[in-house]
Amino acid sequence: MNVDFSHYPRPGMYDELVASEGVARPAAQRLTDYLGTIPQDEFEARVAAVNAAIMTMGITFTVYSDAGNIDRAWPFDVIPRIIERHEWTRIEAGLKQRLTALNLFINDLYNEQRIIKDGIFPAEVLAGSKNFRTQCRGITPRYGVWAHVCGTDLVRDHDGTMYVLEDNLRVPSGVSYMLENRQLMKRLFPELFRLCEILPVDDYTTQLSDTLAALAPFDSDERPVIAVLTPGIFNSAYFEHSYLAQQMGAELVEGSDLVVGDDDCVYMKTISGLRRVDVIYRRIDDDFLDPEVFRADSTLGVRGLLRAWRKGKVGLANAPGAGVADDKVVYTFVPKFIKYYLDQEPVIPNVPSYLCMYEHDRDYVLANLDKLVVKPANESGGYGMLMGPCSTAEERAQFAGLIRANPRNYMAQPTLALSTVPTYVDGNLAPRHIDLRPFVLQGKQSYVTTGGLTRVALCEGSLVVNSSQGGGSKDTWIVA
Amino acid sequence: MLSRVAENLYWMARYLERTEDTARLINATTSVVLDMPHGTAFGWNMLVKAASLDELFSKHYDNAYEDSIMRFLIRDERNPSSIMSCIHLARENTRTFREVLPWEAWEGINELYLYAREHLQADMSRSARFEVLNAIIYRRQALVGLLAGSMSRDVAYQFLRLGRNVERADMTSRIIDVTTAVLLPRNDEPGTAYLNLLWLSVLRSLSAYQMYRRHVAVHVRPEQALDFLFNDAHFPRTITHCMDEVGECLAMLPKNTDALRALRSVQRRLRGADLTHLVDGSLHEFMDAIQGDLAALHDALSQQYFYFYRNQAEQPAAVAMGSAQA
Repeated sequence: MNVDFSHYPRPGMYDELVASEGVARPAAQRLTDYLGTIPQDEFEARVAAVNAAIMTMGITFTVYSDAGNIDRAWPFDVIPRIIERHEWTRIEAGLKQRLTALNLFINDLYNEQRIIKDGIFPAEVLAGSKNFRTQCRGITPRYGVWAHVCGTDLVRDHDGTMYVLEDNLRVPSGVSYMLENRQLMKRLFPELFRLCEILPVDDYTTQLSDTLAALAPFDSDERPVIAVLTPGIFNSAYFEHSYLAQQMGAELVEGSDLVVGDDDCVYMKTISGLRRVDVIYRRIDDDFLDPEVFRADSTLGVRGLLRAWRKGKVGLANAPGAGVADDKVVYTFVPKFIKYYLDQEPVIPNVPSYLCMYEHDRDYVLANLDKLVVKPANESGGYGMLMGPCSTAEERAQFAGLIRANPRNYMAQPTLALSTVPTYVDGNLAPRHIDLRPFVLQGKQSYVTTGGLTRVALCEGSLVVNSSQGGGSKDTWIVA
Repeated sequence: MLSRVAENLYWMARYLERTEDTARLINATTSVVLDMPHGTAFGWNMLVKAASLDELFSKHYDNAYEDSIMRFLIRDERNPSSIMSCIHLARENTRTFREVLPWEAWEGINELYLYAREHLQADMSRSARFEVLNAIIYRRQALVGLLAGSMSRDVAYQFLRLGRNVERADMTSRIIDVTTAVLLPRNDEPGTAYLNLLWLSVLRSLSAYQMYRRHVAVHVRPEQALDFLFNDAHFPRTITHCMDEVGECLAMLPKNTDALRALRSVQRRLRGADLTHLVDGSLHEFMDAIQGDLAALHDALSQQYFYFYRNQAEQPAAVAMGSAQA
């Protein structure tokens, strides 16, 4: 096919595969050479085969507004995103450092709150937190870890700097797409895997299974019973819940399949009676987890689950209340957590941020709404944001009102020129903006996925990569 | 095995069996209708009656012509037993327990669904219909073969097998019942010939014609055909064979007393049947009774395996129950 990068990268942009003057970066050289050797019609046939495989494999994602149509195919772009191993080693260390600090912070908040007493973290931020669960005060889960699974969003700016954009500590999703994307690439371009030294990704489910098993309430050689708790088939990430249960040999359960007994143990309802569950990987938000302590109207959760967990009768990942650190305002303090708890400098910096709770920052944000991205503290999936540069005056006025009414709930960041990767669009390779979500595990040990899920904004110029907002994904290669 | 998963497995197998059996019934009937004398009271609406769907059909359609009946049986999603509905429901069920099936099984069922959605068109010619239904049967068979060849004979497999055999026995009974709807003059030479032809079509619908000829007789006679479809232990679509399969599954499941009792009722009724008497006039009532027995068997399975624990009080007595095997 025609591989012409002479118009790359666009001015003021950083491209992951193409350096200045349209020359492929060293790590991408073999890929681009290879692409150049494939006839256009064969390339197109393979793309068509990928799309057919996606349909047959049923790799789907539900979009909330598509009521009635339960799933839609998850758009996949065949041009991979490539990161060199030496860079990845550094990022990996940075991700582990960050999650370690976050878990120390969460455990501190639910116990002594030293960080508030020492004046590092403002009590008013905690007071305004939606996801702080007072029911969890005084608990220290095993290993002191609350967030066992974290999806950290990374972005690269025009100068090549990699930043942490946000930490997803509640029920981060996407890892199944990362694994499936690799399967697709191997199925369709096996030659590439001989040409390029691409590190494998499929260790994740084993690592997740080990992380969960280490949370079992007993120590024995017996294999603990692990269940993945899903809200059900109407959840947008149901495909992933099912996929992970399948890969781990775990039970996929809904709330109605479980019951907490008089002995505070959790049981699942089987054809031959009740069977004890040792560890639950829950993919339900705190609010819906246990109607006994959280939202009483929840039909998705399990009555008494929190009680069972408090008494150490069941392992829960992520722990209830871990979401307190999944807050875009708390995010801005993470570099301070790293310094405070670990006495280290952050390996991966935060995106510079303005906190609307501080008058000085707020004035700046209100005066520059057309340049900034404004985010509410507790939303995820790209909902409730203002993308300043492409907003209307009306939207900006609305956000100014929202910010003034509840300054604690908003933060703002400059609009980054997210890096691009050549993407196959209408028969040509065109630059599209991307981000990266690696998945980090912490428990008895720490683990970082080899690469992560690269999400791509398929519309020209768009910076919104969220799958719930029409983004797609790419395979991510860490090459030796 | 979770009760909810067991139920979904069982229903998935029933829906897929119903898909295939309906497709076979339509193809075989198409062929026999062409041979029927003009003025015979056998019509396409028999297919709807055999499936006990006549009320639902007349709610949505004004006439019982071939094309409306075919649309209703093949692709109308208002009919929960149409081929399209069954495939759709089987797929939605599979979605909830993909983790217990071999990976390729999901791809297989997904592929079946995508094929059906694309090819089950509103107005198909008889020949196109034949081709598409055959392709659906073929895909469903590939799925059965995949499961047979790559799935452990675990509890999950037993629930698939239960669903398949309960549904198959029910469909066999309904296809046999089709013969009772034909009003041909008795003891009239051409009439008898057509009756025999009808039984031949029944055997064909069940893919049983060839095995009948090999193991019973070359000529198709109502009484012998009925005996074969009721009592032959070796042909996989006879009611006896299906019930034997159910018995084998139950032997591998816990707490099977009630279901075994229901199973024995079906078997007793089959054994006590007076075949000569039946072909002379009371076959329809008898098939109704068999279908009633099968419904009771289904209820016994539901009560024990699908709803028993789900219906119990929220607070179970935890003593000793935790040790039960799933």
